[in-house]
Amino acid sequence: MRVAIEAVGVLAPGFPDWGNARDVLAGRAPFVDAPLAPCAPASLAPSERRRSSATVRLALAAAEQAMKQTAIAPQDMALVFASAEAAAVITHQLCEALAGTREVSPTQFHNSVHNAPSGYYSIAMKAKLGATSLCRGPWSFAAGLLGAAAQALGDDVPVLFVCYDSPLPAPLCESLPVIEATAIAIMISPLPAAATLASWEIAIETREGAGAWPAWMPQAWHANASARGFDALAMLVAETGASATLPLSPELAVRVARC
Amino acid sequence: MIHPLAIRSYTTTSAAGIGKAATARALRDGLSALVPNDLAWAPLDCWIGRVRAAESVALPESLSAFDCRNNRLALLALEQDGFVDAVGAARQRHGAGRVALFLGTSTSGILSTELAYQRRDPATGSLPPAFRYDTMHSLDATTEFVRRVLGLTGPAMTVSTACSSSAKVFCLAERFIRLGLADAAVVGGVDSLCHTTLYGFTALQLVAPDVCRPFDTARRGITIGEAAGFALLERGDGALRLIGYGETSDAHHMSTPHPEGDGARRAMLDALERARIGPGEIDYVNLHGTGTPANDRAEGRAVHDVFGASAPCSSTKGVTGHTLGAAGITEAAISLLSLEQEFMPGSPTTREVDPDTQCTIALHGEARPLARVMSNSFGFGGNNCALVFGKTS
Repeated sequence: MRVAIEAVGVLAPGFPDWGNARDVLAGRAPFVDAPLAPCAPASLAPSERRRSSATVRLALAAAEQAMKQTAIAPQDMALVFASAEAAAVITHQLCEALAGTREVSPTQFHNSVHNAPSGYYSIAMKAKLGATSLCRGPWSFAAGLLGAAAQALGDDVPVLFVCYDSPLPAPLCESLPVIEATAIAIMISPLPAAATLASWEIAIETREGAGAWPAWMPQAWHANASARGFDALAMLVAETGASATLPLSPELAVRVARC
Repeated sequence: MIHPLAIRSYTTTSAAGIGKAATARALRDGLSALVPNDLAWAPLDCWIGRVRAAESVALPESLSAFDCRNNRLALLALEQDGFVDAVGAARQRHGAGRVALFLGTSTSGILSTELAYQRRDPATGSLPPAFRYDTMHSLDATTEFVRRVLGLTGPAMTVSTACSSSAKVFCLAERFIRLGLADAAVVGGVDSLCHTTLYGFTALQLVAPDVCRPFDTARRGITIGEAAGFALLERGDGALRLIGYGETSDAHHMSTPHPEGDGARRAMLDALERARIGPGEIDYVNLHGTGTPANDRAEGRAVHDVFGASAPCSSTKGVTGHTLGAAGITEAAISLLSLEQEFMPGSPTTREVDPDTQCTIALHGEARPLARVMSNSFGFGGNNCALVFGKTS
């Protein structure tokens, strides 16, 4: 599948935006760890910002970065959001309440769904096309990218793909040790245009090996499914013909080749 | 335009029945399988759709790490209607790596985590050592479990868009097969009773105190049920086919539908356009019809906008309960059963149709020729999906 990448958004410790990440991925600058500032997406009204979870704010802030770089209107894009889990802080708070008083906040309950970020985004942007929220555990980035590319080509529509992980509180983090927030937003178009950053050939192949992480990446990010996406983003700054391999399952991988 | 896909095999398990024959019987007899809540672990004053038989299902020893209510229900459903054998034949035809798997769920095995939180270490706050998040709760836990049971190695993923989850899996499967990423796909969904949804929907004041009564003047909310279902889709001709689908967002509110059903209307129109048919060619609409005042009002308006008063509609939520992330596949299976058996199900718990309802609600099922059926599924986040199934004679 050949798709065009129109715009990118990145949020992670040391990566307040794509420009910063691009230099590290291109080998022009070393990775410098720095705490990620709390996300305050401008598209959410202050009341919605208060009601939403940190996961929603993270996903929307990354999406907004990408939206600023493209002339395609948010209303003209389908949405594919991917994350290994729903908002774990909310899951934790709900499970605590359910193990105690069983008094559950209605807002917390509707914020607990896996598609809360894409729902909040569609409301904020008046984006009325289809929105899909995907999960494939540690392989959620490759699964989401595959789903997004398939939708872009299958429906001939630009797709906003966002993949994100927000930290899990104790005791859930003992099982899934996500301790840093990372998020990547990619605007995928079925056809290249003047502003296209690069075209990618995306294919499924048999997986070989465990899938090494990039050397610059802090080990703490290895629990984040979305952090796999940095290998894909490197294909925006790599030379034509370069490729990255992202694990999709124990048997399969997604190859992203710069065209 | 989509390539219609043959539905080679399908199965459904809910409170209404284990497998297709029992489900068809419940639909034909107009029986509600919903009962006053008897869950000792969630004493709420409501009704439920419980699949008791799933509770004692034993997972294979090799997959014991996946043991949770959701996966027991998944296994019970997989074992019905020769589904595992049909998938095995597809695996033989195409190779295990060319059969994709797309499953929907809203809460997966979250009950395991809820129960683990009741048994936290008083000193450290840790969860019990036997608790496994990735295999017992993770949204992907059931997809990975089903993948292993079926021996599939093609692309697999979980769709979690609340109550439209297991309808949207059909859309992914069609795109993947049309684009050559797979030759066949298993789609489906599994959602099981848990504290989160029972207490959460109660907090939103969306749970009926008695049985749900979709489109009834006196409707007061949903009845939560649990269900699992699967379908095997493949290129080529077949008696039953997926011929259209539509996906939209309301862009209105997280948990309340657009009052005019705008997103629902667009999803239905999108599905008709992809199927290349007009509204007059739909013989029956299986409504989302949850039984909440706002949902039914909005859907009724949307259906009327698309079909006028002509298309016969019913909600089978009174038979199965609202099975949330499994509602899409449950009602897809009901739509396929109705096509196969030429029987349009009714809305057995509905007594008097709300005069405010604009579409035509069938209270009683009836035998009638059906060639094309639409199934609606709408979820939190304003997430809408309409599917169209057809029968070739």
